[in-house]
Amino acid sequence: MSDRLTIETSALRKNYDGVEALRGLDLQVPAGSIYGFLGRNGAGKTTTMKVLLGMARPTAGAARVFGLAAGDRNASVDIRSRTGFVSEEKSLYGYMTVERIIRFTAAFYPKWRRDLEQRYVRAFELPLDRRVKALSLGTRSKLMLLLALCRGTELLMIDEPTAGLDPAVTEEVLQALVAYVSGEGATVFFSSHQIAEVEQIADRVSIIHRGRAVVAGALDELRERFRRVQLVFDGEAPAPAFRAAGIVRAQRNGRSITVLSSAGADAVIEEARAWKPISVDVVPVTLKDIFLETVREEQ
Amino acid sequence: MLWYKSWMETRWVFLIGLLVASCVAASVVLVWPKVMGLLPLAATIDPNGKLGQEIRESAAQVADYRSYIVSQWFAKNLRQIASLFGILLGSGGLLSQAAGGAALFTLSMPVSRKKLLATRATAGLAELGVLTVGASLMIPLFSPSVGKSYGAGETLLNSMALWIAASVFFSLTFFLSTVFTDIWRPLLIALGVAIGVSIVRPFLHIAPGYMVFDATSSGSAYAGDLPWRGLLVRVALSAALLYGAVINIQRRDF
Repeated sequence: MSDRLTIETSALRKNYDGVEALRGLDLQVPAGSIYGFLGRNGAGKTTTMKVLLGMARPTAGAARVFGLAAGDRNASVDIRSRTGFVSEEKSLYGYMTVERIIRFTAAFYPKWRRDLEQRYVRAFELPLDRRVKALSLGTRSKLMLLLALCRGTELLMIDEPTAGLDPAVTEEVLQALVAYVSGEGATVFFSSHQIAEVEQIADRVSIIHRGRAVVAGALDELRERFRRVQLVFDGEAPAPAFRAAGIVRAQRNGRSITVLSSAGADAVIEEARAWKPISVDVVPVTLKDIFLETVREEQ
Repeated sequence: MLWYKSWMETRWVFLIGLLVASCVAASVVLVWPKVMGLLPLAATIDPNGKLGQEIRESAAQVADYRSYIVSQWFAKNLRQIASLFGILLGSGGLLSQAAGGAALFTLSMPVSRKKLLATRATAGLAELGVLTVGASLMIPLFSPSVGKSYGAGETLLNSMALWIAASVFFSLTFFLSTVFTDIWRPLLIALGVAIGVSIVRPFLHIAPGYMVFDATSSGSAYAGDLPWRGLLVRVALSAALLYGAVINIQRRDF
């Protein structure tokens, strides 16, 4: 992984008929990373990918891929020539056979990897003479992944790579992604709401909520930074008014206060000391905890 | 490869259209002796009534083989078939693909939307041209079987004029397919326009130079005087509709 950014967005906004799909999204995806893009349904993940690939125009802000403006029509063609994309729908031309759609796609990419094609046709057990419309969702997903992987591109952008797949196919797909990055030095930017699979393969993540990135960073660093602090008091807990930086959520429940901090536990404990808690527990949090806390709607 | 994709998506409409049009063209030629056999009956019709007058006029028109071919094939059957298949060939495209999700795969290719549309429009117009001209070639091919002849040059000229005329309906459907996301509304609207035009056409006083084929065209319709103004208007209309389609698709978010 290098310091070079493959994807960069700044205050990116996208409105669809008055609905704000992206509301000032800031994103930085370093070259060579496996970047997990987490969010609830409708958070703006697919819209972000569409904007990055020129399928939707940004309303405001900047979106750059390989340093090229995604909103520019000519630059967008260049971006797509260097990017493999798998959409969430996993829809292809049903009338083509597997063999034909592979040849069709290969014709657009001068760096098409015939060696990878042969390897994945075997590994994914793709029936070359069968029409795409006759394939199961799992086989179609694997075909789409092959079509993205073999383009010989620097970036793979995958929207929900394992949606609707059984655990065995999911594992195959994830392993193929990891193998591609380690073998080709490419960048993978994938969206998901499957936290386990993001934890399994991503080295960096961003959590998007209501069109904004609410958490971003290296996965290890996030696990290090985020802490849950549980304070228990003798009587009724005081109102949890913290001044410390990085407080994601502070919740009072009877005699206890639970605090989620994105800046470690020290500042929280230091501040809470003045309230004289009878016990202080610091618990490391999982990515799932971080996700659930940061995208949780206030009641 | 985009050509291949366009061909794969329209080939059945094209092939069925070519087959239907060729069969109709051949049958127009082959029934001519029977039509001639019925002509004496026209003389017995009361010429004072409006209907009788029209029948006698039509009978006089088809008595000449060349006039018969122009009125029955080019002005009637081919015009209707070419308009219908122009509409069918113009339907579909990126927006209806978007409903099925395949549009995102297409749009992920390193190809501009303008090129995608240009390829599809060119392929569709070429198919319509082959359908119109190819089926019309049945006329000179089958004419000797009824003891007549019809010039290949005149066939090409007439059928290409009709191709240009039918291209308007292709372009209209193509344009509407960039407005509506389903496949049916563009088809139904374009069919409605085609039917509406054919209904009001007899009541419109259109200058002869703007008519590509009048229902009462004589056999010498294009003997050195092609309806240039009519053809140019149709080319301009088609170009405007295709340009509108490109603008629509370029502005659209998927």
